[in-house]
Amino acid sequence: MIEIDSITKTYGPTKAVDAVSMTVETGTITVIVGTSGSGKTTLLRMINRLEEPTSGEVRINGESTLSVKPHILRRRIGYAIQGHGLFPHHTVARNIGAVPQLLNWPKDKISARVDQLLELFSMDPAEFRDRYPAELSGGQQQRVGVARALASRPDLLLMDEPFGALDPIIRTRAQEDLRHIQQRLGSTIMLVTHDMEEAIRLGDRVAVMDGGKLVQYASPAEIIARPATDFVADMVGDVERPLRLLSLIPLSDIVEEGPAEGAPLSADASLREALSACLWSGRSAVPIERDGTPLGRVTFEAIRARAEMQA
Amino acid sequence: MKIGTVLRPVLVLLLLALVLRPQWFAPLFAPLAPSGGPVIYERASLLSLSLSHLALVAAASAAATVVAVTLAILVTRPAGAAFRPLSRTITNMGQTFPPVAVLALAVPALGFGAGPTLVALFLYGLLPIFENAVTGLTTLPPATMEAARGIGLNRWQRLWRVELPLALPVTLTGIRLSVVIALGTATIGSTVAARTLGEVIIAGLLTNNTAFVLQGGLAVGLFAVLIYDAMVQIERRLAKRMGG
Repeated sequence: MIEIDSITKTYGPTKAVDAVSMTVETGTITVIVGTSGSGKTTLLRMINRLEEPTSGEVRINGESTLSVKPHILRRRIGYAIQGHGLFPHHTVARNIGAVPQLLNWPKDKISARVDQLLELFSMDPAEFRDRYPAELSGGQQQRVGVARALASRPDLLLMDEPFGALDPIIRTRAQEDLRHIQQRLGSTIMLVTHDMEEAIRLGDRVAVMDGGKLVQYASPAEIIARPATDFVADMVGDVERPLRLLSLIPLSDIVEEGPAEGAPLSADASLREALSACLWSGRSAVPIERDGTPLGRVTFEAIRARAEMQA
Repeated sequence: MKIGTVLRPVLVLLLLALVLRPQWFAPLFAPLAPSGGPVIYERASLLSLSLSHLALVAAASAAATVVAVTLAILVTRPAGAAFRPLSRTITNMGQTFPPVAVLALAVPALGFGAGPTLVALFLYGLLPIFENAVTGLTTLPPATMEAARGIGLNRWQRLWRVELPLALPVTLTGIRLSVVIALGTATIGSTVAARTLGEVIIAGLLTNNTAFVLQGGLAVGLFAVLIYDAMVQIERRLAKRMGG
């Protein structure tokens, strides 16, 4: 559990982060979202003490981050940033093994861990281990960056706009991969983004920052349905709200008996995808399946009813 | 590239022949020597002069590299930033001071021989290395530096594992310039009795023997070209690995 206790950072007269308190549960993804200058990055950087807080403290599993030297603390906290920040003069294996090596893991344990992580990120170790970062695509560099951050099984993984430099298609894949890997490893992740879409897609909890203050800290559904301030409502986007809500609900929630025409959707897909399929193909219902076996259908009416219920 | 692969071995062979078997060139140089005078310099072996010349350049460049890179590291730390203009002035002065003047001034203090030449080459070589090392250390990729700090490298580890290796290609360019300048400048060391290939050139100038001048000049020139080329190859290889 990560406890942030009324943490403040002032630069001269301005408060970049103003008395922010929040608690992050172990094994969840918390997304901090805000416009530029909202203090979201400063907040994140105070957790691993890349910025020293002016006042307040952060506790990881009950232990204050001020009780150890900053560089020792950072070896226990994964850190992945926009534009990956890989060491261009080290191979992929050395990049991923950087933190375990700092922690003096034995060599064979490091190389086993490197291979394990490469496989986790669907990169063939034999092919990629000895390459240099310049020989990878943008998406691969980003995955290696995240793998490096996870290498020493840190208590917490901090990510600062990790997908910012990726093009939209690769970004969506990277987000899905991160979700899967987080679920598999049970990691605790805090991620900063300016993109509300990303926050809603990835976050178990979303923290909205504005002018250095934490204005709302809640589940994605809560943020969309009941934005605490006008700023949050703006971030969510009034026009997009119903669609964003639907994107959070899996089809398995409202699947019903009955026939439907056309190409089936997976039960894990969201209502937003079903709505889109209905509109695009002019159907009033779509068939639903799970792993190839038909489950039933989802009707246009049911989607509408569900959207109204939320509002 | 193609020309290089052919030219490089040719030049190496030419240089080896010139240094190890200078007699072979006697027919070639004969028309340039004064009638009845010696064609090939024989007061000292060209090999031993070459080795002593190279040793002098290597020692001066190594010392200049150590001092200039150390200085560059110091002035690129937050605490040393205030000294950057000062150290720039000092290294600039080293470059402005003509090596001949340094030789003249150093002889009374250090006596004749290799000492004054070493000092002159050292001072003259500081600036390019210092400037390039500072450039290399101040233009590191910000994301990489941020990540280095973020994953828990301390100051020393950042310097040794990230900053210096990343600044290496640019620093090497400075070292290369400095070495090539020193190779040429070392010849004037022979005016104060340092053993260099300059001895051959000076002997030629004193006795109006163009053959001597050409022998010495050609050997120095070939060393400079080949060493320059070798260092370019090393830089290219390093830069390629780092994402060129």
